[in-house]
Amino acid sequence: MATKGPVGARGPAGSSRGGNSRFAQFKLVLLGESAVGKSSLVLRFVKDQFDDYRESTIGAAFLTQTISLDDQTTVKFEIWDTAGQERYKSLAPMYYRNANCAVVVYDITQASSLDKAKQWIKELQRQANENIIIALAGNKLDLVTDQPDKRAITTADAEAYARESGLLFFETSAKTSENVRELFTAIAKKLPLDQAGPRNPRSGGRGGVELRPENTSTQGAGNTCAC
Amino acid sequence: MSSVTFTGEKSQVERPPPVSTPHSLSKAVIARRSEYIRPQKIKIKIGSWNVAACSGTDKDLAGWFADGKNIEPNLAGLRVSTAVEENCSQDHIESIEDQEAGRTKKELTILKGDHGTITGGDTIGIYVLGLQEIVDLSSTKEYIGKVYSDTGPMTKWKKALTEAIPEGYQLISEQQLSGLLLLIYASPAVYPTITSVSSVNVGTGIMWSLGNKGAVSTRMVLGETTSLVFVNSHLASGNDAQILERRCWDVSQILQKTRFDPINRSGILDDHQEGIGDEDFAFWFGDLNFRLEGLPGDDIRRLLMLHTQGEYDVGAKTRNKIEAELENNDSPIIIQGVDSDDEEFGSDSLQTSRAFDTNNHPSSDLPNPDDFVQDPSQDPGSLQAAIDSLLPHDQLRHVQKKKRAFHDGWREGPITFLPTYKYEIGTMGRFDSSQKRRAPSWCDRILFRTRKDKAAYEKVNREELMAKRRDEEMKARGIDTAGDDDDVLYDYDPDEDGDETPSKSEEEPTTGKDFYDEQDEEDEEAMTKDGFVDKIHLDIYTSHQRVLSSDHKPLTSVFSLDYDAVVPELRSKIQAEAARELDKAENEGRPGITIVMDHSQNACETSQNVDTPFTAHEEGINLGSVSFMKRKSRSLTIANTSQVTSAFAFVERPGASGDEIGPLWLNVRFISADEEPSAKQNLKEVVLEPGETINCVVEASIDDIGLVQALNNGTMKLDDVLVLRVTEGRDHFVPFHGTWMQTVFGRSIDELIRIPESGIRSLQTSTTSIISTQPIRWSAPRELFKLTELIERLAERVVADASMLNASQVPKESAGWPFESDSWLLQDANVREEYAAAVVDALDSSGNLGSAFPDVTPAIEKLEVVAQTLVLWLGSITDGLVTEALWTKLETDIISRGTRQLTDAEEIKAWVLDVLSSSPNHNIAFVFLSSTLNRVADFLAPLPRTHLSWKKSPPEGSEARVERHRAIEKAYADIFAKVVFRTRDVTGKEKRVAEERKRYILESFLHAGARK
Ligand SMILES: Nc1nc2c(ncn2[C@@H]2O[C@H](COP(=O)(O)OP(=O)(O)OP(=O)(O)O)[C@@H](O)[C@H]2O)c(=O)[nH]1
Ligand SMILES: [Mg+2]
Repeated sequence: MATKGPVGARGPAGSSRGGNSRFAQFKLVLLGESAVGKSSLVLRFVKDQFDDYRESTIGAAFLTQTISLDDQTTVKFEIWDTAGQERYKSLAPMYYRNANCAVVVYDITQASSLDKAKQWIKELQRQANENIIIALAGNKLDLVTDQPDKRAITTADAEAYARESGLLFFETSAKTSENVRELFTAIAKKLPLDQAGPRNPRSGGRGGVELRPENTSTQGAGNTCAC
Repeated sequence: MSSVTFTGEKSQVERPPPVSTPHSLSKAVIARRSEYIRPQKIKIKIGSWNVAACSGTDKDLAGWFADGKNIEPNLAGLRVSTAVEENCSQDHIESIEDQEAGRTKKELTILKGDHGTITGGDTIGIYVLGLQEIVDLSSTKEYIGKVYSDTGPMTKWKKALTEAIPEGYQLISEQQLSGLLLLIYASPAVYPTITSVSSVNVGTGIMWSLGNKGAVSTRMVLGETTSLVFVNSHLASGNDAQILERRCWDVSQILQKTRFDPINRSGILDDHQEGIGDEDFAFWFGDLNFRLEGLPGDDIRRLLMLHTQGEYDVGAKTRNKIEAELENNDSPIIIQGVDSDDEEFGSDSLQTSRAFDTNNHPSSDLPNPDDFVQDPSQDPGSLQAAIDSLLPHDQLRHVQKKKRAFHDGWREGPITFLPTYKYEIGTMGRFDSSQKRRAPSWCDRILFRTRKDKAAYEKVNREELMAKRRDEEMKARGIDTAGDDDDVLYDYDPDEDGDETPSKSEEEPTTGKDFYDEQDEEDEEAMTKDGFVDKIHLDIYTSHQRVLSSDHKPLTSVFSLDYDAVVPELRSKIQAEAARELDKAENEGRPGITIVMDHSQNACETSQNVDTPFTAHEEGINLGSVSFMKRKSRSLTIANTSQVTSAFAFVERPGASGDEIGPLWLNVRFISADEEPSAKQNLKEVVLEPGETINCVVEASIDDIGLVQALNNGTMKLDDVLVLRVTEGRDHFVPFHGTWMQTVFGRSIDELIRIPESGIRSLQTSTTSIISTQPIRWSAPRELFKLTELIERLAERVVADASMLNASQVPKESAGWPFESDSWLLQDANVREEYAAAVVDALDSSGNLGSAFPDVTPAIEKLEVVAQTLVLWLGSITDGLVTEALWTKLETDIISRGTRQLTDAEEIKAWVLDVLSSSPNHNIAFVFLSSTLNRVADFLAPLPRTHLSWKKSPPEGSEARVERHRAIEKAYADIFAKVVFRTRDVTGKEKRVAEERKRYILESFLHAGARK
């Protein structure tokens, strides 16, 4: 038997250094009024593309996107882009129910869309995971760069609201891609990399959201592997 | 008509979707490792010293280990001088005498004025220091009592080492097992590239496992590619043969019990622990305690001291002592080549040492040939010649040879220095002069091995084993020519035996036994586990003769390693790319479907129906107009338009009635194209291969009165969403909507009497019912008139038919016919449902009830359907013909009468009508219904004319007719009691009492005897 001496084995300080990589997977849901640009933000983030004419989403699009926070930390988002039309509102809980993070989008040129966003945020804070990370995104920033008078919601107002409500806040443009990656990266950074992935993969049996330390042969619990 | 696609997705990827998981991602990254690894060079300096628990040894550390001082060039072989910096003058080096004197004066015994001869300082990437006997372990008591708790020695040595090596070097590992200490430091540049550090102790000493003997080992991974193992061991000491066995046993224990933590490779932990031998490069050093055997110890001492005495200045104390010793014994010193029983051993095994060729040197500048007197091994009087003559007696070489230890690929640099043990402390070249006069030995060693060395050994070993087995097999078969096979194997001659074998140069014998002597003299390339190519080169292997503070001399080795290291920035980039590709493949390779809705279904309907008020939702299923009792279906085609098998199903979604797939009134089922429509797959998951399609039928049927009322008053809409979920794909929403057709069912009497002559459908609006704003048009619901009138007409007709045609016989056994469902002759539920829907439609649209039926429908079937419709409609009237308020009054009266209830039918009727008169519309409706029922009963069971004069002489059979009439009265009262009265919900006995009272009232109205 190997006996430990009076002084135990010690590796280099800082267990997260070289070679110790982590991979975490999180469920992200996009909410917001129809036509604010939810699908466009996802398209920009995932495929780095933009469509001037996008069909309204009737359903919930499912996409994944992996980003590296640093050379050791990889975060995979499982993105649910929901339908913003009012008539599908009652179905939203299906998608935010087990979400780890949410992006609530409004259109900075449409005052009413922020009201709608606020409703969503209230609902999330009441009904979703209590630890859900919520980001508020004021989209279509490109529209006001040339014509500032098109802006219906000032940055300061939205920012103040976001701060008050404990949200991440970005003004984005799916069209120019401004702040899109920053938005998702900021969320990834705020996620609890050491504990939570989606706790209950949704009832539909969409597995694979639970993360597991890769050294265990059985696919057990645990969400990030800090090996 | 055109089909419109309202949802769908396509994919171009043919292979099954690779999903990015930690595993697949790191696999993809590893596959591209050549893009993120870059060649690196590193120098590793290993020092090994048995400090014999002597004080002051730590003070000497800096001098010999870090700076490479205290080499006595003349006694350590000349090769080391090549490492001396060229411009370094050694003129002011302290004399041996002065240095030795330092010991007694408690000063440094490190050589003053020595600028160092061995590569050191910050040219070294990793410093590895292995010490033995840092604490005095001479007694067990001390060992147990003190050593385990005392971190003092470790602290002392760490301090000495950190002070010795350049600033900024960081601790990789510190590992102590009583007297054994292994310290590893790395330069600031190298430190961040070291991972998976694991250290293990194995004790083999007292009580077999405690730590006065044993090993401390550390494994680490360099640049994420190259694993290194450092073993610092102290093996059993002693000279006799038994102890030699014990040393070999120690080695086997260390090998067996050293288990490092699993290695983390690119984020994935290996699933097994590693031991010594799994690494890319191993270094084993320490006081291995192997001795010189087969020679009288004193002879060795004297031989070597002949060489050391020359190093002292004339008149020096030590020199005098040595000379005195040498003179005391004038017997000749004869060291013959070998007295080993193995002939080949001697010169062959020294090949390694001699292989230390100048070409082999890391420094690109070749040393000036003048620095070398001549090859010392060629000079019989040289120190090297003396060393060479002693080495064949070295036990380590013997056990290697005999495959007892360190035989599996372990190598050692050439020994060009004096034995490291045992010296008189404080002297430079004076070996043990105690009574024991121990034979000087190379107890302290530094061995190394590459993965390739080990593999090469194993290969040869396997071949030998195979040859041996064949040999034995042959012997077993009695063939005595086994030796020939050996010859074939070992004395293989490429010139004679074929040319596919790579030819070897003739000087090098191809015996498996000395494979490790054959390694080419170029830098050794070793394949690391990950398939990277690493090179190792031994730059230095020497002792530090002028370190005087212990009875052992310290040893130093410097290795140069070329290896491929991961560049983290590059790897991050590759990882991001790999992740993107995996995501792309995953997103594009998802299963997907397209839902096609046949809009022609709607188109042909709009022509014959009211305009659909829905304009907001163009997508989804338009059920068109939906009316009470009428099924309405739509079909969808679902196609797998992806490149992979797609499974999908409707899933529960939050709805008005809880989490259901859809509303209760909607039936959803799949019907595959090649199956009979009846073969319903219903709502199970459907799996389609690419290109396959399936039909889905969505059918609305509203026959629940509660639902009808909600639809009538607008609290519910025919508007909902189904969620079709593709496994591992997206969710499709399938919205659907329909227009509720206003109906006379589920209405109150007050509403019914306001329905215009044109019918309730003429009030159809997109929003709510406006019926309450209509004027009162009828004294009682017109539907009641229509239904009862038709029932009477049909009943009469049925009876007439029955008397003429034998075919249509009224069912006599069930008194409740045609209102009692059990008695119906029209058994086909579908047909009856269709007829009923037509009657309902006629009522709603103010059409002619009689013409709702196909022309040929027998009156008896019509009667049953209309009778059924009447019962259904009465039951649907929200307030009932006798409202709850009216019923409460009636019940109050009954209760107040106690035991003196009315028994006469006429009296009962008078009382009831009196109560009902407060609600004239209800009253009229009630009377109308009861008289209709009377007439129907009379048609079906006519009473004899003499009815009123029964008592005199009842005619033949009249008694039976009266009985039958009574039975019908009772049955009708039973059926209609349930739909005419509205009472509050009661249960149990109360309910039975209430039902009894209802029948009591109704029977009075139906009773034939009560009529004129
Ligand atoms: N100028 C500009 N237009 C945008 C931007 N983002 C989206 N749009 C446009 O806005 C319209 C709606 O965008 P979508 O992404 O479909 O909106 P959505 O939020 O997904 O809408 P629903 O799916 O109906 O909930 C499209 O015509 C987009 O081209 C943006 O950043 N700038
Ligand atoms: Mg959308």
